[in-house]
Amino acid sequence: MGLPLAFIRVYGSKTFQILIDGYEKVFRGIPEMVIMLLFYFGIGYYVPHPFKNAFFTANFALGLRSAANQSQIFRGAIRGIGEEQMTVARSLGLSRLHSIIHVMIPQVFIFSTPGLGSEYALLVKDSAYAFFLPGITEIMEIANTIRKSTGDTATPFFAAAFIYILLTFPIATWLDTWGSRKKRQLGL
Amino acid sequence: MARHVGKQKKEAVRTVGRKMTDTLMECTDLWKIYGKIIAVKDVSLKIREGEIKLVFGPSGSGKSTFLRCLAMLTTPTKGEVFLKGECLTRPGIDLNKARARIGFVFQHIWPFRHLTALGNVELGLRRVLKLSKKEAGEVAMQALREVKMEKWAHHYPGQLSGGQQQRVGIARALAMKPDIILLDEPTSALDPELTGEVIDTLRDLAKKGTTMLIVSHEMPFAREVAEEMIFFDEGTIIETGPPEQFFTNPKSERAKKFMARLIKRTKRE
Repeated sequence: MGLPLAFIRVYGSKTFQILIDGYEKVFRGIPEMVIMLLFYFGIGYYVPHPFKNAFFTANFALGLRSAANQSQIFRGAIRGIGEEQMTVARSLGLSRLHSIIHVMIPQVFIFSTPGLGSEYALLVKDSAYAFFLPGITEIMEIANTIRKSTGDTATPFFAAAFIYILLTFPIATWLDTWGSRKKRQLGL
Repeated sequence: MARHVGKQKKEAVRTVGRKMTDTLMECTDLWKIYGKIIAVKDVSLKIREGEIKLVFGPSGSGKSTFLRCLAMLTTPTKGEVFLKGECLTRPGIDLNKARARIGFVFQHIWPFRHLTALGNVELGLRRVLKLSKKEAGEVAMQALREVKMEKWAHHYPGQLSGGQQQRVGIARALAMKPDIILLDEPTSALDPELTGEVIDTLRDLAKKGTTMLIVSHEMPFAREVAEEMIFFDEGTIIETGPPEQFFTNPKSERAKKFMARLIKRTKRE
């Protein structure tokens, strides 16, 4: 969702630019935990379906915040690539959409690393806040259940930390390495 | 005698394979205004098929904006642009189709950095002219051959010199088989050595009868290939005429001063 938002923010009409800017500012300014609780308890109170579904709300809240971050990362990349690439593509007769698809997007991903890797890691880590929503089973919930049933206060949380590292580190590192290799290959 | 032979050779370059017939591109009373700034002021120009015209003038005089208006990369504020009799400034025209018929070579090259030289040339062929991958590959390779870049077809722009990148830029425009190629100072971002290789490429295109409107300050090249030179200043055409007129006796005072400076610089180089 971050990618279309970024392109609309750059190339869209003034109204869309203001709307997306506002959305980014709001969701990047509120802590993830508050967003989840706000949707589950706050908006969920008035609109129980689907916001009283903890799994949906956790994903929805994570998605909204991450899209706001991603949009900003991609937007930085679009600006870094420069308007000229679009101008050249348009001079060949490519439509605006084709120029975005064939010229901008492939470069946006390259220019978005390592920011994209960090955002992925943040997304996985922030999923821990779903712990505060009732009836959802995630890593922290499992760790806490084991702590309660075994009385071991240390091991379950060390294990949880290790699982988070396993989930974030390889993919974030792979993204960074891919980006650096691509930039080197293209002489950027 | 040597001078005579030289002159004959220049004439040969200017006319071999070139047949100038009807008006290919035309603009009438063209204006481009940005707020309070008048970038292009009431410019009218005709380019015949097979003709080479060279635009020159001080920096910031609106040459690039004028070229962009002709290519419909910037919409003119007033005036009309015609290509083969078709009005490109009329409402409802398919601008993508129109732009595909006009080749444009940029001063700062701007290659697609994520694509190889071949990929750069293929993109328009595949996405605009809708050629198959095989056909696009063949046409692109032929265009790269014409600018003597086939050996570097699989290199990325970042691995090429500025001159090589600009030749890919020319091939990118050429491959689309445009009616005309507009070149916006194609050598001014390059050092003198690299300028030479780009000029050689343009000279080859001139021999093949390619219609070109070139913004350039490469005076020896202008004298050799241009049918007409256009002195541009403060957004408008000040003087037009054959190269010899500008080299021997420009009519306007401004052109005279500018030519004197240009010739002095060329001699120094």
